[in-house]
This record gives sequence, C-alpha cells and structure tokens, in this order.
Amino acid sequence: MFFNMDQEYKEIALDQEIFNFTGQDTTVVHQLRMLSDSLGAPRFFYADIETPVCADGECKLAKIKVYWNLLGNYVGFGVFEKTPLTKNEHDPFTHADYKKLHQLLGDRYSVLERRKMDDLIDEVPIVGEALKTYKGIDAISGATKKEIKESVVKGGLYSCYTLWHLANGAIVKAMKSHLETIYSDAITNYLLKSSYLDYQEYGLKKLRKEKFEEHIEDVLRIFHTTTPITRAYILKKIPNELFQKEIVTSNFYSKFHEVDKNTRTQLIAKMIQSDPKSSELLVIHIDIMTNNQLESYLELLKKHSAYLNEFIKKELKTYARSKDVKYNLKVTEFIREV
Amino acid sequence: MKKLVLFLSLTIAGLHYLSAQNEVLVEAESFISKGGWVVDPQFVEQMGSPYLMAHGMGAPVLNATTTINLKETGKYHVWVRTKNWVPGNWEAPGRFNVIINGKVLKNTLGLENDWTWEYAGKTRIKSHKVAIELNDLTGFNGRCDALYFSKTKEVPTNDTHRLAVWRKTVLGEPTAPEKTITFDLVITGGGLAGCAAAIAAAEQGLKVALIHDRPVLGGNASEEIRVHTLGIYGKYERILKMIDTEHYPNGSYKAKYDQEKRDKNMKSIENISLFLNWRAYDVLAENNSIQYVDARQTATGERIRFEAPLFVDSTGDGWIGFWAGAEFSYGRESVNKYDEEWEKWGELWSPEVGDNFVMGSSVLWQTEKKQTKQAFPKTPWASDVSGNHAAIAGEWYWEFSRNDLHQIHDAETIRDHMLRAIYGSFSKAKNDNKNDNIKLDWVSYLIGKRESRRLVGDHIFTFKDVRDLTKFKDSVVMEIREVDVHFQQNLKDEDKPDFLSTALFFETPKYYIPYRSLYSKNIANLFMAGRNFSCSHVGLGGPRVMLTTGQMGAAVGFASAICKKYSVNPRGVYTEHLEEYMELIEKQQ
Repeated sequence: MFFNMDQEYKEIALDQEIFNFTGQDTTVVHQLRMLSDSLGAPRFFYADIETPVCADGECKLAKIKVYWNLLGNYVGFGVFEKTPLTKNEHDPFTHADYKKLHQLLGDRYSVLERRKMDDLIDEVPIVGEALKTYKGIDAISGATKKEIKESVVKGGLYSCYTLWHLANGAIVKAMKSHLETIYSDAITNYLLKSSYLDYQEYGLKKLRKEKFEEHIEDVLRIFHTTTPITRAYILKKIPNELFQKEIVTSNFYSKFHEVDKNTRTQLIAKMIQSDPKSSELLVIHIDIMTNNQLESYLELLKKHSAYLNEFIKKELKTYARSKDVKYNLKVTEFIREV
Repeated sequence: MKKLVLFLSLTIAGLHYLSAQNEVLVEAESFISKGGWVVDPQFVEQMGSPYLMAHGMGAPVLNATTTINLKETGKYHVWVRTKNWVPGNWEAPGRFNVIINGKVLKNTLGLENDWTWEYAGKTRIKSHKVAIELNDLTGFNGRCDALYFSKTKEVPTNDTHRLAVWRKTVLGEPTAPEKTITFDLVITGGGLAGCAAAIAAAEQGLKVALIHDRPVLGGNASEEIRVHTLGIYGKYERILKMIDTEHYPNGSYKAKYDQEKRDKNMKSIENISLFLNWRAYDVLAENNSIQYVDARQTATGERIRFEAPLFVDSTGDGWIGFWAGAEFSYGRESVNKYDEEWEKWGELWSPEVGDNFVMGSSVLWQTEKKQTKQAFPKTPWASDVSGNHAAIAGEWYWEFSRNDLHQIHDAETIRDHMLRAIYGSFSKAKNDNKNDNIKLDWVSYLIGKRESRRLVGDHIFTFKDVRDLTKFKDSVVMEIREVDVHFQQNLKDEDKPDFLSTALFFETPKYYIPYRSLYSKNIANLFMAGRNFSCSHVGLGGPRVMLTTGQMGAAVGFASAICKKYSVNPRGVYTEHLEEYMELIEKQQ
C-alpha cells in the first residue's frame, strides 16, 4: 500500500457508504465510501475499484483500492497480493512500478489529463497540416512525448491511464461537493491545524474574515510554511484591523528576508495598512529588495510620514554610505529629498 | 502593376547625430556599420531610445563603426549612455569600450547601474572626420544608447524626461515629423494579427500602411522570436496560410522558412505599404478620434506622420490605444468580476482578489551538437537567477513574470532576467562532460510576451464566454484549442526556478469571439487585434495563440472595408451594417 497520510489512517475506525460513481467507462459502477475516526470525524474517501483495462481489443481486470483526502485529492492506493496489477504480457507490477504509479496518480497536472489513449503510443512526430487543428499544448514536441513516457510505468501504459482518470476524474468534484454537505467549523479547525498544504488552502478559503483573529496563530504558522500563492491569499484576505496590531504586524514582517519575492512585494504594498513597526523591519532589508520594491518602499515613506522615523532615516543613511553599490544612489537621492 | 512601397532607410544619409560647435550627440543605433551589434528598439518607451547591443551569446561581437564630421577640432570629452545590466559583486557582463580614430578611450564602459552617462575618456581630434568604434569585450549583451562629445566636462542629464527634451534640443529635432502620408487604414504592429488585418483590408481595396518596428514580420512567430502558430484558421484560411508557421518545436531555426514565405507574401500584396523598422511613438486623438500616428525609423531617427480615418492597434501592448486615451485593463481580475471561476484550480486560475500575477514573457533559445568540443564562458553574474538549474534546451515554459514587474514597463528587466536564466543554466550544463560538444546556437534577444495591456471594447471577452459556449450574432473568430492559462512554478513550489511556468488547460469544443471585442469602447476609430483585444486575464488564455489573433486581424481588416464603404466608425459596422459584414466574413475561406 502506498499512502501519503499514514498518521491519519491509523485513526480510522468507521467505514460508511456514500454513493456510487463511474469513471470514463460508464458501464462499470464503483462505490465511494467515507472513512472516519472513532468520533465520527470524516478523514478519507475511498473506493474498491475493479475496472477493465483495455488495449488492442484485449481487456484485463485491475483491482485496486484508491484513497482520497477530504478534498478529493488522491492520497494513496492498495492492491491485493493475489491480484496484482499487470503490465503487457501479464507481467505483474514491481515495487518500483507501484511507486511510479503512486507518483503519477498524485500528479494533478499530469499530461494524461489532456491526452486520448491513442496519443500515448503515437511516437511518430506529428508534422505539418495535421497539426493545424490539433488541440494541443503550446508545445507538442519530442519533449512532451518524453514527458508522457517518463511519467508512466513501462509496459503499464493503459493501467496508468485508466487509473489516473479514475483517481483524478469527475469523482474529485463529487467528493468536494459531498464535503460541502457535511462541512462544519470543526472541519475548518482540522484543516487549518493540519500540515497539508491543500488542507490549509481550503481551510483559509472557508475561513470567514470575522474568524481570522480566532485562528491567527494557525494563519501565521501557515503563512511562514506555505506556498507563495497561499501567502498571497492570506495577505489579501486578512482584515486590516487585525493586520495592523503590532504583534501581528511584527510577526508578518520580521521574516521579510525569509519569504519569496512575490510575498515581499505584497508586504511592502501593505505596509501602510500595518503598524508602523513594519517600516523598521523593512528598512534593515533594503539590500534584498528588488529595484521596484525599493522604489515602492521609498515612495510610501515619502507619502506616509508615520512610517518614516529617526531610526529609519539613520538606517537609510548608513546604507547610503555602505559599499553596496546596488541601490546606494537611489537611497542617497531619497535622503536628499526628504 | 502592383504598387509596393517599401521604406528602407539609407543609414548613411540618415545618420542620426548633430554636430554643433562644441557638442555632438551620436545615436548608437544610427552607426553606419553595426558589426555584430544589434539594434534593440523594444524598450524605447522606458529608457528613451533604441540602442545597440552586443548579443554575442558569450563570444565578443564585431565592432560597430561609424564616421562623423566635427565642425571643430581639439580636445573632447566623450560620454556614453549605457548600463551595467547585472550589477553585483562580479565583473560586469556587458563591458565594452570606445575607439576613436583607432585609439581606445581610457575607461571601460557598461559598469554603472541603470541607464546613465558613463565617462569614456577624453580624445584629441585633429581632423574634422572622426571614426568611432564600439568594441565589445564580453559577448554578453553590452549596450550603448548614444555617445556625446563635448568640449566641456559637463555630464548630460540622466533624468528620463529631461533627457528626452535635451535630446530633441541637441539633435535640433522639430516638433512634428518632416513627412506626412495619408492612408485609408493605418495598422501598427506586424505580428500575425497586424499582417492579417493588412491583407484583408488591402484585398478589399483599402490603401493600408503597416508599421512594424522590426526588419521582419510575424512578431512572436517571426524568425527572431520563433514561436509556432497554434489554433485554427476559422473563416480565414486563405489569408492565414500566407503568414502562419509549420509546427516545428518552438525556437527552431525552421522559423526562417516561414519567415521567407510570410515576407514574400506580404510584399506581394497590392495596396499594402510596409514600413519595416519603424516604431510608432505618439498619437494625437481629438474628440476621442485618432488623427494620426507618428513613427520613427529605428536606426536613422527619421520620422513620418501617418494620417487615416481608421487605425488598428496590433502592437500587442496596446500602445496606440494607450496614447489615444483608450480604456484598458492589466492584471488578473477578481474571479467574481466576470464569473470566471474554475474551482479545480482556484487562485491559480482566477483569484478572489485581483492581482498582478499575469502570464509571463518567454525568451526562446536553441543549441546544436557539434563535432568538436565547444567552450562557453563561466557566468557568475547569472547564478543568482539560474541557481543549480542546468539545461541545454528551452521551450515555451521558459517564462518569467513576477508581481513587482510590469510586462510592459519592466520588459527590459524581464528580458535580462531570462538571458541570465538561459546563460546560467547552459553554463551549468556545460560542466557536465556529456555536453562538451553542445554549442549555444541561438538565443532570442526579443521577448515573446503573452499578456500586457488589454484595450476595452464594447464587449469584454471572458472565460464565461468560453465555458458557456456563447454564440454571438457578431461571432467573427472561432477557436477549438484549449484555454490555457500559465502560472509561475515557484508560486506553488518556491524551490523551483522563477523562470519556469506551468500551464492549466480548459478543454472546449468550440468558442467564439464577437466583433465587439475588436474595437475600442471610447476611441471611435480604433480597432484592436492580437493579445491587446478586449478581454479579461483568463479570457486571454485561449485566444492569445497566433492563428486566433490572426483571425481577429482578418476580421478587423474586413470591417474596415465596411467602414470605408459607408463612412462609419467601427461601432457603426455592428449597429448599422452587421448583416453585410457577416456575409462578407461568411464568404471567406
């Protein structure tokens, strides 16, 4: 069994049927089930899947247990010892093959999503007129073909294709819809406290602005450990009245030098919505700002005197005299102007 | 006899410099021989002028040379407007020097941050005729905007606005262009959209000017940028087959074959006057109607005023509309503004609150395996960007966007960032013996943009139009290719290089774009075609590919014929003559 959330899996105590679904082969019906902990808190979706995998007119039955997290994102699978997945010529999958399959099923961006089964075995470069109407990516090239080959199990192309579409197909949306029907503040709390990025993102999406203060510790922890796109989301959503509390401001700005450049841009832009402490925390890092970030920062200092105190002036003067040639002229000019 | 007016500049006659008693300004782009230096006009609006660049991909280029006549002999101080394009704790990558009458001036140039006047040294001029050379020292994109000879040691201004005024004064340039030409339709921007617009309008008998700032047509599809065309022909197969590309890999040298086809076809069409190497720089709009477009020859500085009753903005960046005061948008709109949610991808697709995470620009490049070992210099100044990334090939996903950078205003920074990504990644790959024989064969110095200003029309095309498969009574463009919106990989994983992107694809059976997205809402006589048409950020995701933008161009070209026939503006085609216009479109094949 390959699984990404082992700890949570240990807590499973209840198993309950939810609804039936089909994959691309609509003649085969699967049952979606929900796994919960002993208190009834939902933890996973899963399905025992038996599906035909067909190639060149020959079909084989693949048996596999597929697990999804609460958001419908694939997290793992298991197979039965007596009925392993098989490749061409009926060779069973090896451990390495299963590992590769696990990686593939977890890749939401997989190129398999946009490919028909026939495309996978077409190794002849498509040229000329045929491509004028080809609905492809901006690079149907040797590289993309290679990408397909590298992401699937050798000799197990059809199994990989069929299972990817089952794990990442329409069922994902159906699971998310089901989550909405059972959603509660307890689930928000669970998602925000988890260490999984997709859970954190979803928890933040569902977090109402008036609840931000209650969850500020979670929000700050997530901010410092999550992805840039989620940091951007937090900075856009956090209520100003909370953001401008000195302790909150300090927490966001004290690690300015550790966050990515896109987040730094946002932090600088939000400076005037924060406690003036932010400006002091920024001035000590002007050497790592981009040219445009520094210009924005200095422009804000010019327009908002509350953020320009003696400490900041002193720091700017020190920088202007430094050997760091990157911005010292710009800072010198600013000092002259103010 | 076919009438073709092809305006090519005579560089000697048009050498752009002025010699007063004590000072001379020489525009570098007007050098008589460019040697291995290239004219780069991409960032005129930001830094003030086209410039010469030593784009040698690591090998110093041949000297650029010119000759000027000085009225007075004697001692001169020489200043050069240049920049260190990668300031930092390393030797500046773009170093060069100036040679006057065979003697190298004292100071190496290309050392200071930002565009600034660097002091090259002093020289004693003994005869009126003076030979000037730019001597590249690195092959890594040294750049020279202008040289200034002065008997005093007073440095010219660095302030962009004051510099523009000073330049005009020193060059003795009159306010208006010397020449005015009148056409039925003036198209600015010779990418696929502009070319298609020109063909369609010319076929209908309109006298068309096509102004383009490069020596070759095609924009992103040109042999200078090398992106292949994608999408379908829609109703305009005959036109688009004259200018499209085969499906070679992006960056392939094969782009040159389609370039030859495109240029030959465009030059053979009656009624089209091509102005290659001319860049528009100003517009006059009165009562929300454009009177003229002014353009400048990118090497000689010669200027022409283009008058017409109708104009097409196919610049990609929406410059004509911008200068005319047309409404425009930039950035990612809130998901709620146009109902553009795709829940599967959430913030990556369309954010709850708008932002500047737009799709980025690409710089394509190509390598070749040779029979012998190929050296490549170390690039310590690139490693900040490239990190440990090693590569011997580029593709569409070599793309850069960051939220503090504007795809127009910061285009030079973006291009330079991509150059560092390419040089640094290639240099890293060369550390591996298996790449010994790989040679960096070609790197574009032009950025291929995906997204910039979007001019606002009577209809704003959005993802909702795609999702709902909306058919309009004025559907003039159709497309079956997916909507694909890009995001930078490092937004999801900050360990990824910041110059690589990922695409999100939304499958669609067929969507339509209405004519109302192809003319300005508030500038009465302005059409737009290409990526600056009226759309949202996500709406742009599909139609930005070049056969689709070509369809827009053709649709606009045919509309201009209706405008001329009935003396109406673009909106009048929709409100008064839609039936006839759609019949005209329907007849195409």
